[in-house]
Amino acid sequence: MVHIDRGPWREMVNHAQAAYPNECCGAMIGTIDGDNKTVSYALALDNVSAGSQRARYELRPEDLLRADKVARERKLDLIGIYHSHPDCGAYFSETDLKNSCPWYSFVVLSIQNGRFDHANSWLPNAEQTQAEKEELIWPES
Amino acid sequence: MARILIPTPLRQFAEKNDSVELTGTTVGEVLGALTSRFPDLKKHLYNDEGKLRSFVNVYLNDEDIRYIGKEASPVKEADTLSIVPSIAGGAHRG
Repeated sequence: MVHIDRGPWREMVNHAQAAYPNECCGAMIGTIDGDNKTVSYALALDNVSAGSQRARYELRPEDLLRADKVARERKLDLIGIYHSHPDCGAYFSETDLKNSCPWYSFVVLSIQNGRFDHANSWLPNAEQTQAEKEELIWPES
Repeated sequence: MARILIPTPLRQFAEKNDSVELTGTTVGEVLGALTSRFPDLKKHLYNDEGKLRSFVNVYLNDEDIRYIGKEASPVKEADTLSIVPSIAGGAHRG
């Protein structure tokens, strides 16, 4: 289960809405207790995907390294990655599955006409052949 | 001994360590020492051909090893290795 605190949730939604109609991406940092993950800090990262970013995102590994350093400095954990899907659902696409890393939770925010609509969290399997939906709780959910 | 930082999701395969100190004169030797000590990590880092999985990047301090000698990159005592995945995606269904 992924629980996102009010502060980081607001930042994630604002980031996704500001990036619309493009996709945004960022890191989720917090604590992990067994299967319970609590996001207490969101770090907006650059979408560096070449070409149109309306249906694509890519993180710089250097930025992820920086996010991991931020987490370690705060004695927290890098829990996962968030990104947005403008004008479509918060599914985990074939593109997401093929290009993700099966270690982290992936939160997808659906942005419809520039406004947040819904979100899901996904856990890709080790073979990157399918992703399992995990319970996601945010302040207004 | 070089220090290698373990990403959060992989710590369960490394006796919950967030970092470990390992001996080795190259990046490849240090990674080999890591997977020898924690064999369950191997399938998460390497493919069936014994190569680093496509999404796995290794940084020697702040340098991506792909640009400084790959796994043959020399490692010094005070160096830190980081395992950083490549991540991309998007709503595009193809």
